[in-house]
Amino acid sequence: MDRFRTTGAARRLIAILVVLGIAFATTAAMAKGDTTGDPPSAGAATPDAQSTPDTPAPAQSATPPVSPAAGDDDAAAPSATDDTAPENEGFDYAGTVAALGEANYPEKRRIVSALASHPQAHTAELLAAFADNRLVARESDGKVFVAEENGNDYDLRDPITFEPAGRASTRDFDPVRTNIGLRQNIGAAQAQLKLSAEDAETRLAAVETMSEKLDDNAADAMRAHRASETDDDVLEAIDRALAINDLNTGDNDAKLAAIERLSGDNSQMVYNRLKNMLILIPEDTADADQARLRAAAAEQVERIDWWRTVYDYLETLFFGLSLGSILVLAGIGLAITFGVMGVINMAHGELIMLGAYTAFVMQQLLPGHIGLALVLAVPAAFIVSGLVGILIERSIVQWLYGRPLETLLATFGVSLFLQQLVRSVFTPLNRSVASPEWMSGLIRFNDLFALTANRLVILAFSMAVFAALILVMQKTSLGLKVRAVSQNRDMARAMGIRTQRLDALTFGLGSGVAGIAGVALSQLTNVGPNLGQSYIIDSFMVVVFGGVGNLWGTLVSGLSLGVLTKFIEPQTGAVLAKIIVLIFLILFIQRRPRGLFPQKGRTAEGS
Amino acid sequence: MTRTHANHGPVLTRMLGDTGSLIFVVVLIALTVAIPLCNLVAEPGSALHVSNFTVALIGKYLTYALLAVALDLIWGYCGILSLGHTAFFGLGGYAMGMYLMRQIGDRGVYGNPVLPDFMVFLNWDTLPWYWHGMDIFAVAMAMVVFVPGLLALVFGWLAFRSRVTGVYFAIITQAMTYALMLAFFRNEMGFGGNNGLTDFKDILGYSLSSDGTRVALFVASGVGLLIGFLIARFIVTSRAGRVLEAIRDAESRTRFTGYRVELYKVWIFTISAMLAGVAGALYVPQVGIINPSEFSPIASIEAVVWVAVGGRGTLYGAALGAGVVNFAKTWLTGAFPEIWPYALGALFVAVTLFLPKGIVGLVSQLRRQIRRKEPS
Amino acid sequence: MKKPALLESFSDRSRVFDFVNRPAAGAKPDVRHGTVLYVEDITVSFDGFKALDALTLYVNAGELRCIIGPNGAGKTTMMDVITGKTRPDAGRAWFGQNIDLLTLDEPRVAQAGIGRKFQKPTVFENHTVHENLELAMAGARSVWPVLFARLSGEQSAHIDETLELIGLAERRHTLAGALSHGQKQWLEIGMLLMQEPELLLVDEPVAGMTPQEVERTAELLVRLAGKRSVVVVEHDMEFVRSIARTVTVLHEGRVLAEGSMDKIQNDPKVVEVYLGE
Repeated sequence: MDRFRTTGAARRLIAILVVLGIAFATTAAMAKGDTTGDPPSAGAATPDAQSTPDTPAPAQSATPPVSPAAGDDDAAAPSATDDTAPENEGFDYAGTVAALGEANYPEKRRIVSALASHPQAHTAELLAAFADNRLVARESDGKVFVAEENGNDYDLRDPITFEPAGRASTRDFDPVRTNIGLRQNIGAAQAQLKLSAEDAETRLAAVETMSEKLDDNAADAMRAHRASETDDDVLEAIDRALAINDLNTGDNDAKLAAIERLSGDNSQMVYNRLKNMLILIPEDTADADQARLRAAAAEQVERIDWWRTVYDYLETLFFGLSLGSILVLAGIGLAITFGVMGVINMAHGELIMLGAYTAFVMQQLLPGHIGLALVLAVPAAFIVSGLVGILIERSIVQWLYGRPLETLLATFGVSLFLQQLVRSVFTPLNRSVASPEWMSGLIRFNDLFALTANRLVILAFSMAVFAALILVMQKTSLGLKVRAVSQNRDMARAMGIRTQRLDALTFGLGSGVAGIAGVALSQLTNVGPNLGQSYIIDSFMVVVFGGVGNLWGTLVSGLSLGVLTKFIEPQTGAVLAKIIVLIFLILFIQRRPRGLFPQKGRTAEGS
Repeated sequence: MTRTHANHGPVLTRMLGDTGSLIFVVVLIALTVAIPLCNLVAEPGSALHVSNFTVALIGKYLTYALLAVALDLIWGYCGILSLGHTAFFGLGGYAMGMYLMRQIGDRGVYGNPVLPDFMVFLNWDTLPWYWHGMDIFAVAMAMVVFVPGLLALVFGWLAFRSRVTGVYFAIITQAMTYALMLAFFRNEMGFGGNNGLTDFKDILGYSLSSDGTRVALFVASGVGLLIGFLIARFIVTSRAGRVLEAIRDAESRTRFTGYRVELYKVWIFTISAMLAGVAGALYVPQVGIINPSEFSPIASIEAVVWVAVGGRGTLYGAALGAGVVNFAKTWLTGAFPEIWPYALGALFVAVTLFLPKGIVGLVSQLRRQIRRKEPS
Repeated sequence: MKKPALLESFSDRSRVFDFVNRPAAGAKPDVRHGTVLYVEDITVSFDGFKALDALTLYVNAGELRCIIGPNGAGKTTMMDVITGKTRPDAGRAWFGQNIDLLTLDEPRVAQAGIGRKFQKPTVFENHTVHENLELAMAGARSVWPVLFARLSGEQSAHIDETLELIGLAERRHTLAGALSHGQKQWLEIGMLLMQEPELLLVDEPVAGMTPQEVERTAELLVRLAGKRSVVVVEHDMEFVRSIARTVTVLHEGRVLAEGSMDKIQNDPKVVEVYLGE
């Protein structure tokens, strides 16, 4: 008869979730270096020793857009160019640089590659400047300079020596243009320069960057470097990069060996090249070698496809759980006010909205402390929405106990009122609440699987809120009293529980949790006066589907509805998926009006 | 605390035996006759003249009033609170909209004789099956009652036989209208998506922009409301009406007395949905557009508030409430647009807390007090 | 709103599709064997608590049976099972030899001829006394006939008769909600009579009545027996003694003893659990 009793099934479920959570957390920690969003320290990377003081540190944008691991490029600028200098005899470095001014894109690519293979003291800076679009060519003679904008003029430097070369009007110069493909080449070239860095990590990153765009020059450089490489990880990465290169350029045996070597590698690059191979070699090829190659490639493609499907499902599952966690957050406050008190609070959505606005206001109050503001917004939103909830209960709901339909209408009035209030105070425009670094970007587990950090955090947060509520309900005297009142109001009153005060507190608790949900939502969507409306029906559905008065039911129903929605979505599109879920819920409630986990017993009969 | 028993005698006496209903019917008939006269006969500028704008506005209120009567029939008399009644209103409206759309013929922007503009725009080359026959007025009008009725029948049958009641029912009806709204927003549904159905030209061959048609539509709304009201009155004053009230007050007792409660509920819910559908069909040609926002859950709840404001369980109170609230809305959104949502919110609260019987209840209370004072 | 019989049977979700046993609509119980109610091995449990534990009970046609027992003995649950409100976990309940009560829901049980009066008087408070009786009056129950129903002279007379019988003729136009507690009890009994049931289940009919009213109620119930079968659940021992011929004692969901009042009162088991306190 205990509405909040932990059932065996529910216990197992939470255990699974905890295990999953720990697994996520550890993997996330391991994968931390892989975060695409720049780690906080990256912005403060010091210019390397070689940069002349008047040269700006090579900027972040030198990072090729698709490189997952280029965060530390600058810190690893080559200190070893001198070692390679002796090999450069016979290469016309200055002439090659000068040719950039008139070169077309294929030529520019070749030049970049050649420069990386025959570096001199300032090659790294030159490439950085190139990637940064700071190379210009004089219109009159096509001579190339490194330029720094200064008002309407350029401060010029010599591209070879990086000596200052005077100042001239920008009008006399054309930029040496780059495009995405070229910038990737530049990135690869920059990486190549770093191949001989002291730090194994840097070399590893360099190899990985290079492998994105490996041409013959770079491959040769890599092979040359391999002989002197000592670090196992770097060796491994070089082999992989060369193998991938072989897939394109090697002969049949090299290709076969490469396929063999790369089995178990699920990256997009390998996949694309294998697919390409399948396209290039006709299915009914007469050549036995080619046929063997094709079969090997096909096998790998099939294997990667299989893993992709698996990870796709995992990803869908995650999106479902993520949506579910939001539904749980939104619904759990309602589960308290509706489930425990039997009160329909149509203003629940607006309490969520108030929480979201609290997060917005906190960030306005603490400019520059996005993360801190967000953390502080959680208790603040609890208090704001909780107080508003208590106000609603004292002023309206308490007069309407036992008249649920009237309560529904009155609280709907409150919701209109609150919406308009927010419109008056904050304007009807949507506000956006900024995300702190630890909530942005992707958390990458492997080549095929990455999760968005904000959703992961919210999933964990929602579970934490749920756990806290369960604790409150089971371990505190407030929870005990709430459970007592929900089971038998008259008896509880007879036992000396001040039901009026308790009602207000319970309502405040449910409302406060709605506020917390609002803070979480502010990280996923824009904050506007209509935010709450879009969640109210969903929240009710979650509570009713789970079984009124049962917090565990709310958890299970929220998560399963989220997962259900996300698994339908790919087939039907988002809107139709939502409609289907709504219809499913309507039909379900009609079959089992008391939800998934109904309360049993005589006390439940009358309700 | 006594009530005269009116189960015998002529049906009309039974239906109009109570003063409020009689006054309502008289006023409604007067309005339906007088407003067109004042519009068409009285010279513009004279004190009696009623502008075209006012005619259209009051015509719209009349259709709202019919929706309110439909709601009161189930809520006031059978205790079924539907937060999704605009679903039926909207479906009726769409059925009418489809007819009007087909009447445009080749006068649309794209000049396609069969396909409405939005279908041409979506590169559709054939008419979806459910649009066939909607160019025939009789078929369209049958759909106006049939489609909402069928939805209500199926929905109600599923809900009531499982004994889904009270707030649960309210919530799933809300979900129903929400799902419909989402569905109609989809272009693939073939109802014009976001924009809905609009740019209507004429109805039964009469131009919708002519004064005569407008007045005719007004009269149709008045007559529609009158007929809907009389049907509702007939039901609630019959023995079946008393069964409905019995269900409202003591559902379980009604069952033990041998009445199949779920059948009564499905029946009255279906009739109410049909009335709402008719209201929607009368509404659309007067406002010239129907789009998915008509299905919005908020619109449904607003309609419930009309009933609450007027006074539930009286039918004429519901109609009165629809008129009063919408008049206030028109006036306030014109004069102080910021204030309207506050006013509406406050109205919800005030009516439930202080006026549980609505305006009608307030009036009868005042009359009682006056009567008590008179002797002294 | 009339649906084919097959469709109708589907519409009852609690039904086991038992077309064979299903009595034709409006069938009367067959009591040729002299027994109107068979309750056999009925077990009902709520969350592990057994409200009824293999309860077996027979009621003869025309009998006036009193059922007594301490709180929680299962009296109300037994009535719930018989009237279709609660489905038992096990057991059989037949009305006469031909009507399986466990396949019927509340309205069908009522239509088959079992009337029930609740412990707390439940009347339609917003209807007049007259309307209450009219609603309860035996006859059509489905929507369309009821919608167009008019009171015939004969029916009016029948209602008037009942009004006299329950002493509420003067208050026929009073809203039932305005009646006193005792009057509501009487009105509910009147409604039961209007249903013309074969079997009346009466739960604590004299609770809250004055001694005069109790006396009149006793008189009425005794008069009813013979024509109809009556099962009375009551706490008031004086009242039970004044009307009962056979008394059944329930305890913890089973029959503890059965027999005449004298026999029961001298049964040591009964004395221990019920009378002895």
